[in-house]
Amino acid sequence: MVEEKEKTKWVMTDGSELIIESLVRAGANAYVNYPITPSNWLNAFALKRFPFFMPAPDEITTLQWLCGMAAAGKIPVTATSFPGYALMIETMNEVYMMELPMVIILVQRLGPSTGSATVGAEGDLLVMNGTISGGFQFPVFSISSFEDCWNIPPKALKTAVELRTPVVILTSKEMIMTSRSFDLEKLHAVEPVKMKYFTGEAPYKPYKPNEDLIPEFLPVGNEQHQVRINSSTHDHAGMIKKATPEAIGNSLRLQEKIEKHIDSYSIYTFIEAPESETLIVTYGITSEACRESVCRCGKSGKGVSLLILNTLIPLPKFVIETMNSYRNVIVIEENSQANLVRYIYGVNLPTNVKKMNAFGRMITPSEIMKEIASCR
Amino acid sequence: MQIDFLAKKKMPYCPGCGHHASNLNLAKALEKSGYNLLDVIIVSDIGCSGLIDENMACHTVHGLHGRVVALATGIAYALANKNKKVIAIQGDGGATIGLQHLLVAARRNVNMTLLVLNNNVYGMTGGQLSGLSNTSLKEKILHDEAYYPPFDITEMAYQSGAVYASKIMAKGEFSDKLGEAIKTEGFSVVEIIGPCPAYAYNSIKEMMELGYEEKVLTNTRPFVAPQFYERSSLFDSKNAIERQFSAKISNKLSILLGGSAGEGVQLAADLLAQAGLSCGLNNTKKGEYPITVGTGFSLAEVIMSNDPIYYTGIEKADVAIVTSQDGWEMVKSRVNEFTKLFVDETIDTGTVDYGVKLPFREKVGRKSAVLCAIAYWMSHSGVVPVDALVKTFAGHKHEEKLLEAVNTGISM
Ligand code: SF4
Ligand SMILES: [Mg+2]
Repeated sequence: MVEEKEKTKWVMTDGSELIIESLVRAGANAYVNYPITPSNWLNAFALKRFPFFMPAPDEITTLQWLCGMAAAGKIPVTATSFPGYALMIETMNEVYMMELPMVIILVQRLGPSTGSATVGAEGDLLVMNGTISGGFQFPVFSISSFEDCWNIPPKALKTAVELRTPVVILTSKEMIMTSRSFDLEKLHAVEPVKMKYFTGEAPYKPYKPNEDLIPEFLPVGNEQHQVRINSSTHDHAGMIKKATPEAIGNSLRLQEKIEKHIDSYSIYTFIEAPESETLIVTYGITSEACRESVCRCGKSGKGVSLLILNTLIPLPKFVIETMNSYRNVIVIEENSQANLVRYIYGVNLPTNVKKMNAFGRMITPSEIMKEIASCR
Repeated sequence: MQIDFLAKKKMPYCPGCGHHASNLNLAKALEKSGYNLLDVIIVSDIGCSGLIDENMACHTVHGLHGRVVALATGIAYALANKNKKVIAIQGDGGATIGLQHLLVAARRNVNMTLLVLNNNVYGMTGGQLSGLSNTSLKEKILHDEAYYPPFDITEMAYQSGAVYASKIMAKGEFSDKLGEAIKTEGFSVVEIIGPCPAYAYNSIKEMMELGYEEKVLTNTRPFVAPQFYERSSLFDSKNAIERQFSAKISNKLSILLGGSAGEGVQLAADLLAQAGLSCGLNNTKKGEYPITVGTGFSLAEVIMSNDPIYYTGIEKADVAIVTSQDGWEMVKSRVNEFTKLFVDETIDTGTVDYGVKLPFREKVGRKSAVLCAIAYWMSHSGVVPVDALVKTFAGHKHEEKLLEAVNTGISM
C-alpha cells in the first residue's frame, strides 16, 4: 500500500502577511492607511490584497474615511501605532457611538510620545480602556503567537460586525516583523463574516436594539428605508436628543451589548500544571517567552501554570477566577507601568500577585525562570 | 410626483439666521435635481449648520466638528455610484478646523458637494471668530486679529482642484445656484455667506456691504471613480520550499549577522533561514536597522531549531558573522567565548580575541561578504549543507554573483 503523502506548503512568512490575508478572507474590504513605523508591513501587504486601498493624509482623515465607508456598508481596517492612534481617539468615539464595525490594528512601540519608532513595547492597554469618554469599552484583542496572527483577526472582525463596534487588535513590532517557517496548509479555513441587514417592516429605526441589544443595520444610500446615523447622543430614530430616557438608555446600551456578548469573544489559553502553586499571566509578545519558560520548567519536573490572554477588554470572567485561585501569580508584560495589573487591580495589588516588567526590550525566558524560582 | 426633501416645516434656527434660507434652498434644489429621497445622503458637522439633519427626509449622518468632508469622502468612496448624491454641510468654524479635509477632497475630486455656511462666527459656542471671519467683524470682536485676512475658501477649493467652486450670498431664491453644484460630477463646493443675528451680522443686507464677491470658478478635469478590485491571495505568489536536505543541529542554533546598510545582510539572512527550512528545521528571521535604511548598521537574527520556536529573541548567539565595523558595534555585546565568531579582517574587534578573522570583503566585495562568510561557516562546520543555501537562490536575478560568493567562502 502506498502511503499518501500529507500535503504541505512550507514557506517563510510573517505576522503581517497572515493578519492581512486572514482579514480579507474574513470579509474586510476597505483599507485606509497613514504610514507609521512599525505598522508599515501591514500596510504594504494590505495594498496588494485589499479590494480597496487608499492612502490618507493623516490619521484623523484615515479614521473618518473608514467611518464613512462603514456607514455605507463596508468593513474597514487600518493599522497604526500610538502617535497615530492618539489622533484617532475622537473618531473612535464617533464610530463607537454610531455603532459601526471597524478593525484597528495597533502596532505598539516605545513611548511616551513619539518615543522610539523601532523599539518594541506593549504599553497601550490603558489607553484602550480609556479611549471612550465615560469609561465605555470596546473589545480589545491581543496577538500572542504566530498562529494568533491568523486566528485572532477574523475573530476580531466578526465581533466588530456582529456587535456593531470598533475593535482593536494590539500587537507589536516583534510579532509582525519577524518571519518564520510555516506550513500554510496547517492554517484553519477562515469563515467569511456575513453582514446582516434589517429586513423587517417600516418604520426602520436605525438604533432600535433587538433582543441581543444590537440595532439591525442598513447602510446609508440604501433604497428601502431612510437611515439616520448619529455621533451625538441620540434616540432610536438616530435624532439628536439631550438627556431623554430613550437617548440615555441608548448610550448605556453601548456598554451593555459589549458585556452581554463577552462569552462569544473571550479568548485565552490556559495551560494548567497540576499541583503548581504558581500561575504566570501574560499577553502579547511576552507570551512566547513565557511559553518557552513554562516548557523548560515542565521539562525540569517543576511545572508552572500559564494563562495567556487574547481578549483583554472586557476581561473574561475566567481570568479573575483563575488568578484568585493561585498562591503566586506573576503578571509579566513588556511595559514599565504594569498596564495589565493596573487595569485589573488599580492601585490595590493583592498579596498573591507580583508584577514583572521591562521597558524598551523583550523579557527573556531566563529572566522569567529566575522570577519563577524566586516564588518557590 | 413632487418629492419633499424637508422632513418638517419648523426649522430649529434662530429667527433671521442665514442657515434657514440655506436649508430651504437646499431642499428645493434637491427637489429639482431629479434625485430620489433615498439617493441623497446629507452629512453634517457640529455647529448650528449641523442642525440640518433632523429637517431632512433623506439619509442623514451627523459627525464630529470639522470632519464632515472626510466623513462624506468615506461615504462617497464606499458608494462609488454616480446615482447617489453625498452632500456635506459645515459652517465656517468647521471649515477652519477641517481645512485639510476640504483641500484633500478637492484635490482628489471626490464625488460630493460641500456647502460651507459662512456666517463669520462659531455660532453654537457663542460667537467666536473663525478663519473665515471678515476683517470688520474682527475689529469689533478682537481687534488684533484684524491684521490677518480671512481664508477665501472658494478660491482655496478651486486652487486645490474642485470642479465647481462658488461663493454666493444667502439672499432670496438661490436653489438653482446650489443645483449647479449638485449636478456636478466630482467635487463641488458652495460657500454661502449668511447672517448669524445672534452673534454677528443681523441680516444679509448688512453682509452685502462687506465686499463679498459672488463668483463661480470651474476646473475641467476627468472624474475617476474609486475602484474595488478582486485580488488574489498573498499566498499564491509564495513558492513552497521543499524539505529535502538535513541539518546536524542538536537543538537550537541562534545566529547573528552584522554588516552595513546595502551590503546584503537581510537577503543573506533570508536565504539562510530558507536553507534551514529546506533542512526541515523551524526558523525565525528578523532584521534591525536604523530608520534611515540606506546607511549605518544592518543586523539580522536567525534562529534554527528542531523544536518549535517560541521566544524569537537571541539571549546568547551561538554563531555570529560580522562583515563591517558598523555591524560589529551592534553585535559585540551579544557574543562571548562560546560563540562561533567569524569577522572580516578589516574589523577592529578591540579586546575580543576569539573568533576567526578572514578577508571576506576583499575576496568578494562588500555586497557579498556576509553570504561568503555564511558559506565559509557552513562548509567548515557542516551544520547546514551548503547545497541547501545554493538551492535557495536558484533563479535569483543575481544568481551568478551569489554563487561566486558562496564558492569563494567554501574555498577559503
Ligand atoms: S446662533 Fe447664529 S448660527 Fe446659530 S442658529 Fe442662531 S443665528 Fe443661526
Ligand atoms: Mg459659523
